[in-house]
Amino acid sequence: MRVWSQRLIAHEAGKDHSSEVNDPAAFLAFEKLYPHLASLMGKVGVNALVSRALALANAEVPSLRAVRVNAEGALERLTELEAQFDHSAVAEGRLVLLARILDLLVVFIGEHLTERIVGDVWPQFPPNKRKSTKGGKR
Amino acid sequence: MTKRNNAAKRPQIKKAASPQAKVATVTIKKIPTGVRGLDEILGGGIPEFSFNIIAGPPGCGKTTLAHQIVFANATVRKPAIYFTVLGEPAMKMLRHQQQYSFFDGSKLGKAIRFINLSDVVLGKSLDKVLEAIIQEVTTTNPGIVVVDSFRTVIRKAVADTSELEMQTFIQRLAQFLSSWEATSFLVGEYAPDEMRDNPLFTIVDGLFWLSQLTERNSVVRKLQIFKLRGQASVPGLHTFHIRGSGLQAFSRTLGLDSKKIDPLGEGRRLSIGTPELDKMMNGGIREGDSLLIAGPSGTGKSVLATQFIAAGLSKKEPAVMALFEERPLGYTDRADSLGLKLKAAQKKGLLETLYLRPLDLSVDQITQEILDAVERVGAKRLVIDSLVGFEMALAPGFREDFRESLYRMIVALTGAGVTILTTVEVEDTFTALQFSHYTVSFLTDDIIRLRYVEIDGQLRKVVVVIKMRGGNHSKDIREYVITGKGVVLIHPRRTDYHGLITGVPKRTGPRLLQEEEIAPEPKATKATKATK
Repeated sequence: MRVWSQRLIAHEAGKDHSSEVNDPAAFLAFEKLYPHLASLMGKVGVNALVSRALALANAEVPSLRAVRVNAEGALERLTELEAQFDHSAVAEGRLVLLARILDLLVVFIGEHLTERIVGDVWPQFPPNKRKSTKGGKR
Repeated sequence: MTKRNNAAKRPQIKKAASPQAKVATVTIKKIPTGVRGLDEILGGGIPEFSFNIIAGPPGCGKTTLAHQIVFANATVRKPAIYFTVLGEPAMKMLRHQQQYSFFDGSKLGKAIRFINLSDVVLGKSLDKVLEAIIQEVTTTNPGIVVVDSFRTVIRKAVADTSELEMQTFIQRLAQFLSSWEATSFLVGEYAPDEMRDNPLFTIVDGLFWLSQLTERNSVVRKLQIFKLRGQASVPGLHTFHIRGSGLQAFSRTLGLDSKKIDPLGEGRRLSIGTPELDKMMNGGIREGDSLLIAGPSGTGKSVLATQFIAAGLSKKEPAVMALFEERPLGYTDRADSLGLKLKAAQKKGLLETLYLRPLDLSVDQITQEILDAVERVGAKRLVIDSLVGFEMALAPGFREDFRESLYRMIVALTGAGVTILTTVEVEDTFTALQFSHYTVSFLTDDIIRLRYVEIDGQLRKVVVVIKMRGGNHSKDIREYVITGKGVVLIHPRRTDYHGLITGVPKRTGPRLLQEEEIAPEPKATKATKATK
């Protein structure tokens, strides 16, 4: 899932030239995914999903402990995160959090439907790269 | 031309030329439900642009039915919108529904859109809910709209708004969705007594009521179309089940519209596989008839049934055996020991054996399973072995209607042109000659009775043809044995005894010279060899 997330983030950064791949504040991929998830499961549902993903990601990337999920499921305190940690730690946090969100989606609705959601969010993202990578680090 | 002829013609011309009659008739297109059997119950499908409610208690299959309808109809050109509201979370819904074979993940997104309205319902008024629905519908232009669960929308509204506002909301929603040419479904948990006072049930065009009843240890699912504006549906309670393919409904009139056909139009006779018995039946069973073989345990009912099937297979006539007691393997093993090669026929696809013992089936389900098997193999012959096991396979609630249900099943099957042999176990009494416990003999065209009699200090077996509808038959009571070749009639009718059908006959003439039967009977010897 990490590789998949890396591809998505790179794709998103490559598409939006104003952002750099290593821009730690962007969290662009998540922001783009958010309205689709909110439409599907409601903001309460997104809050529950992202909170769980953040809890899982925290165990791997301690820097994410600064981040909070608000009642609507959006990420907060990203500014504090940037202030406290260097770019690479923030970028790693961003990557792992997205990977855990996708992980949870796969657990709940399966790989095929998760790929379809990703395809809806990023229709230009090459289908051959949409496939999640099974195995390896979760 | 005479005056009389002119008078007779005039009204016809008027009727045919009436422009009003043509204009008044609007053809209502019917959309398929995707649920096998339900379109027939509905009278062809769901009327297009209708505003419907799918109601019932929790766990009865409302959401699954809604999904089946959505997946059967949604296309990219005419998509479906599935609004979820405070009921089963969308993630769980998708997780669970994709277990069904009708679920097509490729339709999600473009053909089917899931939209969560929980935030709107929780935080805002009914007007805002309607606004949100209108916005999505006008943007997407769907053919199907589902609100699941509508009950939660209303429950929230009852707390915050007046009854009038709620009625206005429902009215506006119904009018808007129909005007936008959407066929819509409100899914909700309702109890039957709510129907009286709830204006929703007055407004909707179609009311699909699902229920599940617990009867002793079994659960029976039932479906009722309380109303369906614009077309005639089949009234009454229909059973349905939920399997891997989703819902399947069974009309309570399944089979009743079948007209019995004479396959060749001349009453061809089918051999039962025992030449002497064929002779007693004036050449065999009339094709398309239903034959009942009644007798106590061990008299060879299943052996005769197997011979009947094997006789057909020898002429390349495909067959189905619906077994309710004995396991198919035991059945085919015994048949093979009698030289009746059922296994080979199974491999060739000429014979299908159904083993039905779930204990909570309805007769309609069984009928459908058998009809499907008959269609699959193109069966000409069918064995139902036995009625007692059949009754045991039914949920307790259905046993009360066993006779009526059986009647429908026989009509449906003989209507399909199949010749049926049914076995039934009856106890031998020594005062009467009963044909079955069920008083179902009126269902069958022909009846053969097997029974034990005491002759010369032995418990022997006799056979008699009781009835053959539409044909003559032998009145003889014939003795038979079960040999390595199956049921074999061994004597002409016995005239040396009186009262054979009582089971304890009296000798009236000299004892017949007969070779002593060596125990065990040849059949038993064969069977022992086969199991070794």
